[in-house]
Amino acid sequence: MSERLIVIGGGGAGTAAATIAKRLNPDLKVTLFTEFPDIAYSPCGIPFVHGREIEKFENLFLSTVERYVEDGLDMRMETTVTDLDLDRGTVTAKNTHEGFDRLVIGTGFTWEKPDVPGANLEGLHYVKDIRAAMLFDEQLDGMKRVTVIGATPLGVEMAGNLGHRGLQVDFVDEGPWVLSEVLDPDVAEPVHESLEKRGVTLRLGTRIEGFTEGSGGKVGAVATSAGELECDAVIVCLHKLPNSALAEAAGIKTGTTGGIMVDERMHTSADRVWAAGDVVEVPHGLSMLPIRGLTGSHAYAQGRTAAFNAAGQDLVYDPVWIPWGMVAGDYTIGGFSIGETLAQAMGVPYVVAKGVGVSRARYYPGATRTHVKLLADPESHKLIGGQIHGGEGVKERADFLAFAAKRGATLEDVAWMENIYSPPIGALFEPMAIAAQNGLAALRS
Amino acid sequence: MSAYKRALRERSEHYLMQAAMKEVGTGAPSTVAPYKKRGGLLWRLVFVPLYRRVPWTVKRRAMATLRMTSTGWTPPAREPSEPWHPPPR
Repeated sequence: MSERLIVIGGGGAGTAAATIAKRLNPDLKVTLFTEFPDIAYSPCGIPFVHGREIEKFENLFLSTVERYVEDGLDMRMETTVTDLDLDRGTVTAKNTHEGFDRLVIGTGFTWEKPDVPGANLEGLHYVKDIRAAMLFDEQLDGMKRVTVIGATPLGVEMAGNLGHRGLQVDFVDEGPWVLSEVLDPDVAEPVHESLEKRGVTLRLGTRIEGFTEGSGGKVGAVATSAGELECDAVIVCLHKLPNSALAEAAGIKTGTTGGIMVDERMHTSADRVWAAGDVVEVPHGLSMLPIRGLTGSHAYAQGRTAAFNAAGQDLVYDPVWIPWGMVAGDYTIGGFSIGETLAQAMGVPYVVAKGVGVSRARYYPGATRTHVKLLADPESHKLIGGQIHGGEGVKERADFLAFAAKRGATLEDVAWMENIYSPPIGALFEPMAIAAQNGLAALRS
Repeated sequence: MSAYKRALRERSEHYLMQAAMKEVGTGAPSTVAPYKKRGGLLWRLVFVPLYRRVPWTVKRRAMATLRMTSTGWTPPAREPSEPWHPPPR
């Protein structure tokens, strides 16, 4: 008799786990539970539809429920798993117990809610579910002024896109610059300029103190430490919190971030149970400290690892070096591992290597300046982090540097790396190499 | 214990980041002072300076001893090595 794998969660990790496990082991009966009516869409694209960069929400869908059913998956849409019994090997959904032989938990995250009066008022919007986003988008047509709370990556994308749509945007955060938990201030400066050009008013170093009711019982203003801001809606973009309550109640161990603890095979503390995505914590390659709330590509890769192991094969996931990148306003920023601010906070010894180059041959139309800042260990010169900003090529450099750091590359390796010179796509001098050479020169002097 | 460790990490990270932001951000154009919550004197005046006096290698060892680091994972070799191969089917 074939075994049954149950996957809880229909996000990147859950869908990867279910589809890949079924592909690897066609005899496995795979059932996927999701509380939402839709699956296989990109929630990361939602801010860009609001900003009219993407024409319609339908473009964000990558597949259909029917397609998964055709592939042999048992899809339980709009079905919330309310209980997990590890001793009996059952999950409970809609008051029905369903048995499993193996389980993958991919329950994702919930958004942190502001802990201030009025936080339950109507008009506070959280970006997650595409149907809620579609409704909100229609409401946005009748709005003039919105407040975005939290200068997180999502907050920056929402503020920039709503500014692009022509709305008056107040962008509020307690930090001294946007993305202050990951970004360094020198990289934040052009981001601020770009957001302001889009009509975003930055209100940094500012705390939210409450929400005031306006007309029709909806939020009408935000009380802050710097005064009151009138608004038609509030978009809350605070931290991602792991949706680990179900697992924790079942006795599965969670760690110092609140995420489910997993080993390198994405196996949890419970027998035959794996977990992946925003609900788990994984180690940072530099410090081995557990972290969570990474990107969609991390969720997918973790789901794939869980799938291999749940399907009876063997696959290991590495500690992460977190290449990241995004468009902030009209400006592209990115990096890997840690920046200078985080290195300073952690107490990691580092030297900085900075350089500026161009993305194409200087004379070729469309060339943009690319700024690179590398952090390296003062003794070994091994890369430990970095940030990049400019126009094109930020993503590729962040990916490359994360991989190079993982393999122990040094400033010397990067300084004398080979690079492509082709006027439309690459300049003679690679900006990363310029930064590394500058850093080595500074160390010698 | 898990809740204690979680709270310890959350608090320590908050105050270490606040101190780092102040130092790295001082003089940087277009930045402001971070919002400072009331309280936390002990963290700001005792914990942060003490933490900074301890070398990173000692801190790493202490974090591992306190089981603040991930377990069940192979620490990266950080040396050039054989590329990853898919598992045999």
